[in-house]
Amino acid sequence: MDFTLTPEQVLLRDGVARFATNGFSNGARHDHWKQFADLGWLGIGAPEDAGGFGGATETLLLMEQLGRGLVVSPFVSQVVLAGTILRAANRRDLIEDIVEGRRRFAVAYEERGARYDPSSVDVRAEPDAGGWKLSGMKVRVLDPSSADSLIVSARAPEGIALFLVPASSANLARTTYPGEDGHDVATLQFDGVVVGADAVIAPPGNALDALEAGVDAATAALCAEALGLCAVMLETTVEYLKVRQQFGVPLSSFQALQHRMAEMYIELELIRSMTYHAAMTVESQADAIGRKRDISAAKAQVAKSGRFIGQQAIQLHGAIGMSEEYKIGHYFKRMTFVERLFGDRDYHVRRYLAC
Amino acid sequence: MNLTFSPQERAFRAEVREFIASHLPEEIRSKVRGGEHLEKDDYYRWHRMLFERGWVAPNWPQAYGGTGWDPIRRHIFSEELSYGWAPRLLPFGLSMVAPVIIQFGNDEQRGRFLPRILSAEDFWCQGYSEPGSGSDLASLSTKAERKGDVYVINGTKTWITAAQWADWIFVLARTSPVEKKRQEGISFILVDMRTPGVSVRPITTVDGGQEINEVNFENVEVPVSNRVGDEGGGWTYAKFLLEHERTGTAGIAACRQMLTLLSELRDREGITDRRFDERLAEIDIELTAVAFTEMRVLAAESAGTRPGPESSILKLKGTEIQQALTELALDAGGPYSDVALARNYFNFRKATIYAGSNEIQKNIIAKQILKV
Repeated sequence: MDFTLTPEQVLLRDGVARFATNGFSNGARHDHWKQFADLGWLGIGAPEDAGGFGGATETLLLMEQLGRGLVVSPFVSQVVLAGTILRAANRRDLIEDIVEGRRRFAVAYEERGARYDPSSVDVRAEPDAGGWKLSGMKVRVLDPSSADSLIVSARAPEGIALFLVPASSANLARTTYPGEDGHDVATLQFDGVVVGADAVIAPPGNALDALEAGVDAATAALCAEALGLCAVMLETTVEYLKVRQQFGVPLSSFQALQHRMAEMYIELELIRSMTYHAAMTVESQADAIGRKRDISAAKAQVAKSGRFIGQQAIQLHGAIGMSEEYKIGHYFKRMTFVERLFGDRDYHVRRYLAC
Repeated sequence: MNLTFSPQERAFRAEVREFIASHLPEEIRSKVRGGEHLEKDDYYRWHRMLFERGWVAPNWPQAYGGTGWDPIRRHIFSEELSYGWAPRLLPFGLSMVAPVIIQFGNDEQRGRFLPRILSAEDFWCQGYSEPGSGSDLASLSTKAERKGDVYVINGTKTWITAAQWADWIFVLARTSPVEKKRQEGISFILVDMRTPGVSVRPITTVDGGQEINEVNFENVEVPVSNRVGDEGGGWTYAKFLLEHERTGTAGIAACRQMLTLLSELRDREGITDRRFDERLAEIDIELTAVAFTEMRVLAAESAGTRPGPESSILKLKGTEIQQALTELALDAGGPYSDVALARNYFNFRKATIYAGSNEIQKNIIAKQILKV
């Protein structure tokens, strides 16, 4: 039992912290992908022979700092989610593309009415002249604008499979819209999109496992982002209440507010614990049932605690917390989506029960 | 980071589990499992078995009969005690007064008191709270007036668990009147319960339990040599003791056992309501988060950090979960259940009050961690 970081991990964390605090405040967007590739960060979690290093712990350290800096980055969707799927599908060639920053993959798996469940798939894949033809709709595809390739789950006659689809395919309509947290999201309409036989990256029997492994790893990464977001929300609230004077005294001198901040601190520590727990379970490559159970426990707790911290951070700030100019609201908005991405609390409590 | 138990730690766990399985008497095990009231003799017998094995004082230094285990092993040991439905030994001697005597007492006191605590010859109780001094402990008014070689103690201590069984009580008493700070002038004094002038009055709690008592001191003469540490230095020792008390109050393994009982209860009562299962799962998940937090505190302790204000989180969340579990059990059984669910629910309201109420814990977090 040892929670200490290796010197390499400390270097990584400090490096990301420097990056995240320099020019990435208030959700400002920059094209940072080349920089990430040069620093080697796109290789986190990839096999060493594919140019990668580290695993879920390194992902945690990076995401916590990106959360602290409110960096709007497709790292979770294009590296953790896509990378884990490709790893489970043994596509080393495509993982190298991610590590080098050559190609960028968006994953299209959610559907309307599926309520976060990756196994609920209505998009059809029909055999077509030696290849496949895809039809149906995908929703909430994360960070599509910067992606040149799509990983799409679809129901083939034999079961769910994963397909590699160029983002610029014919008969593919993309409606992209901005999320309130600065990320972009798309709805994809497939009207007979034709791909070759080699587009299958995970066949039925393997595809759902690969997809779920990816979503779970991405969920663990998101917990770490929540940790960073919530830590800043608490720190900012405490500092503000020490300075803000009302009734001739600092707000922090009132016990009602002290206790609220103490409760926020406790919830933050529970997020920290569950974030480590989630990273540990991804790293240990436990069986799928155990992994799902642990990840769902972590996400359910992070969702609950993160909602409390976010809402109280706004409340304790008072009206300034509602202001677009002030940073707390931006952290709150991102946390609000993190709370629900890859499954909200209700979904994960039920999945926990089912495991 | 390496967050798994080593092979040696797993072997240790197996050894403890085997010992409990083969030594703990069945009638005691079933009392603990059924949430029944334990008699002094139940505690005594189990204490003696652990004593014979050399495992009775995991948190003492080896020189005084402790086990020499690191925090992780102590944690494993305490988990296994819960999993095996063993009674939790009364903490007042082993976990409260003994660390204070070891840290702040003199050799004569160590030689006189520690062996008898270890062997269960002496049972102890804690004389902190008073009718007028609860959360505001420094306002206490029990007096110890020095007359030659003795202190003459007058006052009332209350809410004292196990006083009816105790041979000794440790008392916080005022040895000099308040001048500047109320925390000054308090001393830590050990009193033989058989001394003339000591009287015990039982207090029945709302659950019908007879755990707690009021203890009166009327001109009780105690040798000055029974004072631990400096005269007037008692507040420091009292705080030291409270920090040790808090770490042990999360009761995570015991909560896991309560979850097991709840699952059994669910089947017994034929509950198929998904809402019930989801409530159970939500508590289970939060318990996992607290358990992992405890591991972080333990790992920090292993690395040489003393238990600090972070232990307040464990006390706070642990006791909230204990109460949520007794509440859910009561919901499962309904009113007038033939199992002792209501009694347990009533009894556990104490958990968020003792060892520094949860509101006091929030004050501690706000002041010591958030620095407001």
